[in-house]
Amino acid sequence: MTPSAQSIIALAFAAAVLFSSATPSIAATPTNWWSLAPLHRPTAPPLTLTESTWARTPIDSFIAAQLKAKRLSPSPEADRRTLIRRVYFDLIGLPPTPEEVAAFIADKNPKAYEALVDILLASPRHGERWARHWMDAVHYAESHGHDQDRIRPNAWPYRDYLIDSFNQDKPYTRFIQEQVAADALFPDEPQLIPALGLLAAGPWDESSLRDIREDTIDREIARYIDRDDIVATVMSTFTSSTVHCARCHDHKFDPISQRDYYNLQSVFAGVGRGNVSFEADPKAHRIRRDLLAQQAAIQQREKSLMDTLLAPALQAEVTEWEKNLAAHNSVVWTVLEPTTSQSAAGSTFTKQPDHSVLATGKRPEKDTYTLLAHSNLKGVTAVRLEVLADDNLPHKGPGRQDNGNLHLSEIQILAATRTRPNDLKPLAISMASADFDQAGWTIQHAIDGNPATAWGIYPQVGKSHQAIFELKETVAHDDGTLWSFVLEQQHGGGHLIGRPRISITTSPRPVRIPTIPDTIAQALAIPVAHRTDNHKRDLALHFLQEKVGKTLAALSAQQWVFVASGNFMPDGSHKPATTPRPVHILKRGDITKPGELAAPGGLSCITTIPARFDLPKPEDERSRRAAFAQWLSHPNHPLTWRSAVNRIWHHHFGRGLVDTPNDFGRMGGLPSHPELLDWLAVEFRDGGGSLKKIHRLIVTSAVYRQSSQHQVRASQSDAENRLLWRQNRTRLDAESLRDAVLQAAGRLDLRMGGPSDQQFAVSPGIHVTPNVDYNKFDWDSPAARRRSVYRFIFRTLPDPFMDALDCPDASLLTPVRAHSVNALQALALLNDAFILRQSEHLSARIATKAKSLEEQIVAACQLAFARTPDKSEIRMMSDYAAKHGLTNLCRLLLNSNEFLFLD
Amino acid sequence: MNPALQNELLGRRDFLGRVGNGFGGLALAHLLGAAENRDAQPRALWKGGLHHPAKARRVIQLFMNGGASQMDLFDYKPELFRRHGQKFDPGTSERVEAATSAPGTVMKPPFEFKQHGQCGRWVSNLFPHIAGRVDDMAFLMALASKTNVHGPASYMMNTGFLAPGHPCLGSWISYGLGRLSDNLPTFVVLPDPRGLPYNQKGNFTAGFLPITHQGTAIHAHLPAPIANLAPAGAPKFISRESEREGLALLAQLNRAHAAAHPGQDQLESRIESYELAARLQLHAPEALDIANETLSTRNLYGLDDKITEDFGRRCLLARRLAERGVRFIQIWSGAGGPSKNWDNHSDIHTELPAMARATDKPIAGLLADLQARGLLEDTLVIWSTEFGRMPFTQGATGRDHNGGTSVAWLAGAGIKGGATFGESDPWSWKAADGKMYCYDLHATILHLLGVDHEQLTVRHNGIDRRLTDVHGEVVHPILA
Repeated sequence: MTPSAQSIIALAFAAAVLFSSATPSIAATPTNWWSLAPLHRPTAPPLTLTESTWARTPIDSFIAAQLKAKRLSPSPEADRRTLIRRVYFDLIGLPPTPEEVAAFIADKNPKAYEALVDILLASPRHGERWARHWMDAVHYAESHGHDQDRIRPNAWPYRDYLIDSFNQDKPYTRFIQEQVAADALFPDEPQLIPALGLLAAGPWDESSLRDIREDTIDREIARYIDRDDIVATVMSTFTSSTVHCARCHDHKFDPISQRDYYNLQSVFAGVGRGNVSFEADPKAHRIRRDLLAQQAAIQQREKSLMDTLLAPALQAEVTEWEKNLAAHNSVVWTVLEPTTSQSAAGSTFTKQPDHSVLATGKRPEKDTYTLLAHSNLKGVTAVRLEVLADDNLPHKGPGRQDNGNLHLSEIQILAATRTRPNDLKPLAISMASADFDQAGWTIQHAIDGNPATAWGIYPQVGKSHQAIFELKETVAHDDGTLWSFVLEQQHGGGHLIGRPRISITTSPRPVRIPTIPDTIAQALAIPVAHRTDNHKRDLALHFLQEKVGKTLAALSAQQWVFVASGNFMPDGSHKPATTPRPVHILKRGDITKPGELAAPGGLSCITTIPARFDLPKPEDERSRRAAFAQWLSHPNHPLTWRSAVNRIWHHHFGRGLVDTPNDFGRMGGLPSHPELLDWLAVEFRDGGGSLKKIHRLIVTSAVYRQSSQHQVRASQSDAENRLLWRQNRTRLDAESLRDAVLQAAGRLDLRMGGPSDQQFAVSPGIHVTPNVDYNKFDWDSPAARRRSVYRFIFRTLPDPFMDALDCPDASLLTPVRAHSVNALQALALLNDAFILRQSEHLSARIATKAKSLEEQIVAACQLAFARTPDKSEIRMMSDYAAKHGLTNLCRLLLNSNEFLFLD
Repeated sequence: MNPALQNELLGRRDFLGRVGNGFGGLALAHLLGAAENRDAQPRALWKGGLHHPAKARRVIQLFMNGGASQMDLFDYKPELFRRHGQKFDPGTSERVEAATSAPGTVMKPPFEFKQHGQCGRWVSNLFPHIAGRVDDMAFLMALASKTNVHGPASYMMNTGFLAPGHPCLGSWISYGLGRLSDNLPTFVVLPDPRGLPYNQKGNFTAGFLPITHQGTAIHAHLPAPIANLAPAGAPKFISRESEREGLALLAQLNRAHAAAHPGQDQLESRIESYELAARLQLHAPEALDIANETLSTRNLYGLDDKITEDFGRRCLLARRLAERGVRFIQIWSGAGGPSKNWDNHSDIHTELPAMARATDKPIAGLLADLQARGLLEDTLVIWSTEFGRMPFTQGATGRDHNGGTSVAWLAGAGIKGGATFGESDPWSWKAADGKMYCYDLHATILHLLGVDHEQLTVRHNGIDRRLTDVHGEVVHPILA
């Protein structure tokens, strides 16, 4: 690090000197650290005449002043071919076409470059390019990571939200607030819910947070770690602060206490990651919201509603409904009391007063229960199997597996005349229905004759379920019937029914799982004249419930998005917290040493904004995030605005003014141009938080437009080019390279948005994590052709080609990408199927563009390098292509440094 | 690899001959990612160590994926036999809980235990071959984890952290010590052909270190064991000659470009990376070809038996890679998921013997072969897992995860054979004496490689990160 002494405010410099003596106990304080100092707009330094002819924007004045101090001078402007290639990749992530290059070079307008910049900033490609940068920063991927790396089919709306926001040039204040608290701050703009994808972008430990037992310490540890990821993501991304360093102790270098850290955790103590439905259309949202409110009133039997239930108009509607209830078919069930209950594998049965039997004792892996019973009913049409919840079962059952599940492989129903018990004959089942089917484990599996498939009820554990089996032939024995019910449970792992109960009915077919609850069926069975007011109320309430339910169902389908929220779709034991969970200050970060309770708040070292949130209802989860979002986006926040402009600068120059974009603390870099950073931050904030204005200002500056050519003298005094005496040369990042290859090959499909393209074959894995095979992908399929921002990113097994090009591991926040060079990267660029196939496409394309080999080579170089090759180059290349074919040559061009690097 | 392709690759010798003058140490060091880490080059005066003399030059780690059941293999506990079938009551205030099930009753190991070797190490009859080598091994008998869940536990044992995103042991070693050979990757992973482990490549990620230090997976059972070593799908337009002349032309174009764009190391490095790639293409197929291994060597590793063949082949490959300069080799036994690994929730009687049998002879064979070739002198062999298992039942005869204690052993370079460190409680439920975590194991491994774990740091997002976080003590009692 080579900080320029004169450029750094005195106190900060003093701190840096102290730091170099490496005494960790000396922390930065709010008064002595540059990034915590209040923002002010510095005056641009005055320029000499030479400088002012060079300078194009106020940015250049700051740059020129520091160059002058080191007796350096800036480089001349790059030529137009270099400029157009640079600014295209920079602003839209794609190369210019040969036609665009030619037109720009020929353009006589002195403002041709500025006009080009405006076109690029207005292009939808711009949002795609800059969304990708943001996705690095927030470690976005579309699977959970960890050992259960489940695919998140609903993550992509966040990516589309980002692209759209950058394209719209959404004011940065809004951009922050939406991603942290869209649901709380803009409740009438439900289309913004995907913004909350930021909070859920990172890895999520499904085993620990969903599958292991809820009462374990591992579950609680996982919650803290999960919130740590959210806090680190938000604070690193928006404020460039390293609060996560204060998890086990106060921050060693920055004025961030452990309390501050846990206060931030408590901001997110009410959220969990999961799927949330949202309305892309605000009007439909309002209708739905009203209906849901009615539904809640019905469910909670709110007094205001209950008082209206006997109103004549409503009762008239109920009468009408009852008339139309043609098939209200109230099935009457007779519960059978088993005379014997047998287990093939040694389960013990205890009879219950309700005629169910409870399985206790040793839990075999597999079992077959046989229940025998008698009945005198004639004309039996169906049998009902209830699997009842019970406090003695794991998770209250209804199954005996540790997770409360069961698997009924097959059911056999046998009957005989009571007097001839040896004549038991299996009965054909014509139809089966269940009140709930586990995905992939439906009730049909219990009657398919295949013991390898079964009915299950996971994740709806903890409550009773039932299945109804309609018999093909009615059963009627004059002397009464002997029944035998054989419940085969052959899946293994103790997936056994905990408390079964059998009933039969003589009601006419069809006998299915009822849509009308028993109580309503009973009320309907009473003649109208004999119904009490309570019956009438029950019926009216049921009628309203059904009506609201139907209206809701008829509304256009909602979309789903994977976010962190207080109200996500429960998934097994991963359920929303009813109120925010208590967050303790953990001594040394140890879960077994909880200290005081934390309260939602921001960083106390930021003195310009209150760090303690005044929340009237702290139990309201959303209000915590709303207050935090306001704190983060506050105009007087010293970190937020500096952080944002530094990130932008980083992407335009390959290095930020502060070269640690996620760390503005003592362990981070010092700004090379502190006054410029502040000037830009204020300009950005006061300019409505418009990112496009800042982009325009930067890319039209003289410093940006410089040539990247080396200067021996300058490199001797500033080898790292921190003072920007030239533009930096950069290697194309993985996505730009891939997109440029597709465009050169004429294969790029600019279709935007929607679900991501899986550029791999996916098949079920051994457990949760699917098998992902990149070798089995067809590079000519439609999913191969869109921009890389639409690639599906699988967290624990990323695309090896992109990996080799430093596409970051989506398990970690990546503010700055590496630019590595190694043998495996060379092999990927030479031999990966993508490059080989696109080389063929590129060669086929230029073969149609030009006739002679020379012309074809010129066309190839224009596509790859945005320039015409010289004579000797043409000769070398055509010698090779004549011998080995154009495709081989194209492959080499795509491997060349000139293609990979931007001047 | 098919012979035609091999010939094609061998044709690259000419190419290498012509451009081979560029293999200066400095140029190569640059490609190793050493540019970011100039001070981290091993120094001759430390025998290849970074901070002090190294005992070990290379490491072979055998990772038992799923949580190998310590009390059924090495951690003999008479108390379990005495209390078999009783309610588990450790008599402490600590709550008895299990990650995925309700705790059952105490279960004795359904296997026979005997003492072996001079050191008298108890080993169950599941490991008859390993039992014969206990005097070469040092046992860590109280290695705990901070979690009872596979994902975080696997991250912890591999990277030192519960959350993903941190570099793993092999990556740190690659980063800290660089490579021993220019012909092969520094850090190689040999996954179980049945599937990648929990966390998949997350367990061999370079995290925030340069991607160069990521583990290179070699899928020994696939036709293309190393990705992109040869053109994918062997397209017709590529021939031996087109490759040779093409790479020469590419070098020429890149040289001309670099000459016109002075002052940028990366341009030169890229030219060199293609030369290094050619070396890898030349040498990797030979390293992976076991055709010339003698019958007795093959049998030593169990290649003559279907059950031990796969793991045996990977152990044999590990020896070949070690001989040829790969610094860190990780062999996985077991895939992620609920079965075909060491995660024996359902039935210890049947599930564990299958895993043990598949690995026992190959592991003993590897140790014997390394010793016979003198490689055990400076090769460290580690056997470990992500956590242990419970002394009580899950279901009828399974065992649930146990972060409380587990067993690992080390053998070879710098290790005091027959030593033991730590002890679990009478049930093998929790570590009792000499409790240690992965930090201490990692610190010890680095120590043997001549690296001070506290000094091998990289600044990332505001923290000087270490493999051992803020913990770690070298376990001196097991060192020779």
